[in-house]
Amino acid sequence: MIREARTRTSESYMLGGIDLATGREYNKAVEDQERLDIRASCQGDQEAYRRLVERHQRQVAGLLWRFTRDKGVLEELVQEVFVQAYFSLSGYRGEGSFAGWLSCIATRTGYRFWKKQSRENAHYEINEADAVEQPEDTDEVTPQEAGQVLHTLLAQINETDRLVLTLMYFDGCSTEQIAERMGWNRAMVKMRAYRARNKLRALAEEQGIWETLGWIR
Amino acid sequence: MDTLKQIDRLVSRARQEVVPVVDVADRVLWRIRTAGVGVKPPVPIAPLGIFAGLSAVAASIIVFLAIHAWMAMNNPMMELYRPVQVASLW
Repeated sequence: MIREARTRTSESYMLGGIDLATGREYNKAVEDQERLDIRASCQGDQEAYRRLVERHQRQVAGLLWRFTRDKGVLEELVQEVFVQAYFSLSGYRGEGSFAGWLSCIATRTGYRFWKKQSRENAHYEINEADAVEQPEDTDEVTPQEAGQVLHTLLAQINETDRLVLTLMYFDGCSTEQIAERMGWNRAMVKMRAYRARNKLRALAEEQGIWETLGWIR
Repeated sequence: MDTLKQIDRLVSRARQEVVPVVDVADRVLWRIRTAGVGVKPPVPIAPLGIFAGLSAVAASIIVFLAIHAWMAMNNPMMELYRPVQVASLW
């Protein structure tokens, strides 16, 4: 599955970083327009930046949805990413796709959000998870429920391990891409991924997740 | 089935999740504009420089006087030690 996800990501990179899930057709005109918008935004054209935000906000929200399940917080985080991106536009060298560059900012923003939550000793995630209604019919689990269960499980491991697994599972990143995105050592990311998966397995078994989600058996 | 495979199945199901739609363009632009407004104009440094220069001159004068005063100062305990210094110990 992870291999499949990697393929998907490499495809999206090949296609200029446009998220295929959005169904937006990629073509050279889009890329050229994007390049023009980036240049205009650098020169202070806010309408050009609006176009960039509108083009990429769905992709950024998709990534940040794995960092919070609260829509209000999600909106704040997405805003934060685009505000930061605007003030860092001069640092965008255009070597990779703009979407990839935004993903880096979004990942770091999400990671800071988790760190802040952890510092404040907030039990937000756990409380939120308590509110999840377990499916009555265990033959079928909706994607929302699956997402919520995973979010709850991942919230119980430390932020760094959680980030590694989140990017692997949901953004289809390889350990190399995670290392590059976060400026970490690749060997460290590999080790983290291995340990985090074991922790996740232990947590899932300990908490009897599979009994709740009987469909999986 | 192995727990990790079950987790992978859960992940593949979760990836089909529909993400809430957000539209932040207006608020992003508003924040960018207000961030620009909130930036204070640079403080002119010439008056600060003049003030710093005057302070440095005043401080130099005080240091000069203080060194002279220090050099002229006698240790009040010297009068007490002097007889001991000339006394033969054995």
